[in-house]
Amino acid sequence: MPEVISDRKVFSLIEVTESIQKTLTDRYKSSFWLKAEMNKLNHYSHSGHCYPDLVEKREGKVIAQMRSILWKSDYFRLNETFKSMLKEPLKDGIKILLCATITFDSTHGLSLRILDIDPGFSLGELEREKQEAIMKLNKEGIFSNNKNLTLPLLPQRIAIISVETSKGYADYLQVIDNNPWGYKFFNFLFPSLLQGEKSIISIISQLKRIRKVIHHFDVVAIIRGGGGDVGLSSFNNYELAREIALFPLPVITGIGHSTNETVSEMVSSKNAITPTELADFLIQKFHNFSVPVRKAEETIIDKSSRLLKEEKLKLHNEVKFFQTATRSQLLKNYNTIRGNGQTLKHQVKFFVRQESHLIHTLKSELQRSMALLIQQNTNTISQLSSNLQQNAVSFIKDQNRSLYNSSKQVSLLDPQNILNRGFTITLYEGKTVKSFSELKAGDTITTVLAEGKIVSNIIETTNSPDQHE
Amino acid sequence: MSDTINYSEAFEELQMIVSEIENGEISVDDLSEKVKRASVLIRICKTKLTTTEENVNKILKDIEATDNSLQ
Repeated sequence: MPEVISDRKVFSLIEVTESIQKTLTDRYKSSFWLKAEMNKLNHYSHSGHCYPDLVEKREGKVIAQMRSILWKSDYFRLNETFKSMLKEPLKDGIKILLCATITFDSTHGLSLRILDIDPGFSLGELEREKQEAIMKLNKEGIFSNNKNLTLPLLPQRIAIISVETSKGYADYLQVIDNNPWGYKFFNFLFPSLLQGEKSIISIISQLKRIRKVIHHFDVVAIIRGGGGDVGLSSFNNYELAREIALFPLPVITGIGHSTNETVSEMVSSKNAITPTELADFLIQKFHNFSVPVRKAEETIIDKSSRLLKEEKLKLHNEVKFFQTATRSQLLKNYNTIRGNGQTLKHQVKFFVRQESHLIHTLKSELQRSMALLIQQNTNTISQLSSNLQQNAVSFIKDQNRSLYNSSKQVSLLDPQNILNRGFTITLYEGKTVKSFSELKAGDTITTVLAEGKIVSNIIETTNSPDQHE
Repeated sequence: MSDTINYSEAFEELQMIVSEIENGEISVDDLSEKVKRASVLIRICKTKLTTTEENVNKILKDIEATDNSLQ
């Protein structure tokens, strides 16, 4: 009951709170449904109770806020329902449709006691957020950016975003490190949370770190596993999906769940579903490179040895053909020569025979002609010889006669005969004097007569008047 | 020349030689040279499959350097 102090009615605090409690209990008798965003779940693991902080925002600003209570048993039940239906636990930041009563406690004040939460509503909200993220990425035209990157021929250097102790990472390493083909990969872990709201910031910050050393890597792998299907809605987050879509290296995901593909997986270059499949995918890439190389090796060995064999055979055949052709040509030539030889022999024989016949004919003809000629010549000679005899006799007779005449003339001209007829020859100094002028008085002259010589000196010379001079 | 070629180029060139040899475009005269070249390319490709030159310490150093510069 209130006291009266200095004419004033004074209530104790408990009286006030009890009054408020009474008023509220009378006013809000039944439970009701309302929708709100669960800003913080505020789960106390010690007691197991939750004290969710509910808000309503308008254009990002909080326009209403209220504390609520979710008792341990209700929390456990509702959380299980959420995990099975939404694949998400009750967590910070989700929109919920809840059934509550208003309670007022003297020590804890006003709060909403949560009796039930409709998981269908939250599921719809999550799906709406996911679709919104997809729409935004499409609108920005970056949804397929990472998908359009070309994976290197050999994705060998892998920047891994995972939890070092997770089963998924161990599964991945098991397949990669023990591949029986000896393929060598370089794995570098960028540790990050992969579940719950905090994973968004954690993954984005690791992607930013990878960007700084991007030249060391061929591909980014986001590996999760062993965590069940719960707590994956963070991969639908627009900011995270955007970071992945815009990442300059191809991003491969192996997040390991059976629910619908998350936005982060959609925008990734490749969604390998599980860590093991991601490892297999990388190994397959190596196969795609290795098999053609091995096949190339085999083909080159096979084809080149076949080519050599073919060429050898061709050469062998050529040689054989050449030998055969040469032999047959030689034989042909031999036969031709032999044939020609035979022909020549026959022809020569025939020719010789013909010629000898001709010679024989000519010989007899010659003999006959010669005999005839000799006969003719003999006749001519005898004719000539008789002619010669006749001619010689008459010639000698002629000559004799002419000789006689000549001797007669010669004797007429003989100086002796002239001397005999009384003529003389006068000599001066041994020479015949033929001119009067050659001589002068005193010269000694010799006068030759028929019977002898007279030597006389000229006493006087007198010129005959009737002569010249 | 063969030491500076990267594995993608080596792979591509190797495929080219294979297609040439398969189509019978290589004469016996060129065969020896082509086979020699192919063996170099195969070695480059096979080496790439089984080795990696990345150095963990170098990456750590690079990350630290950038982390510090961001602070």
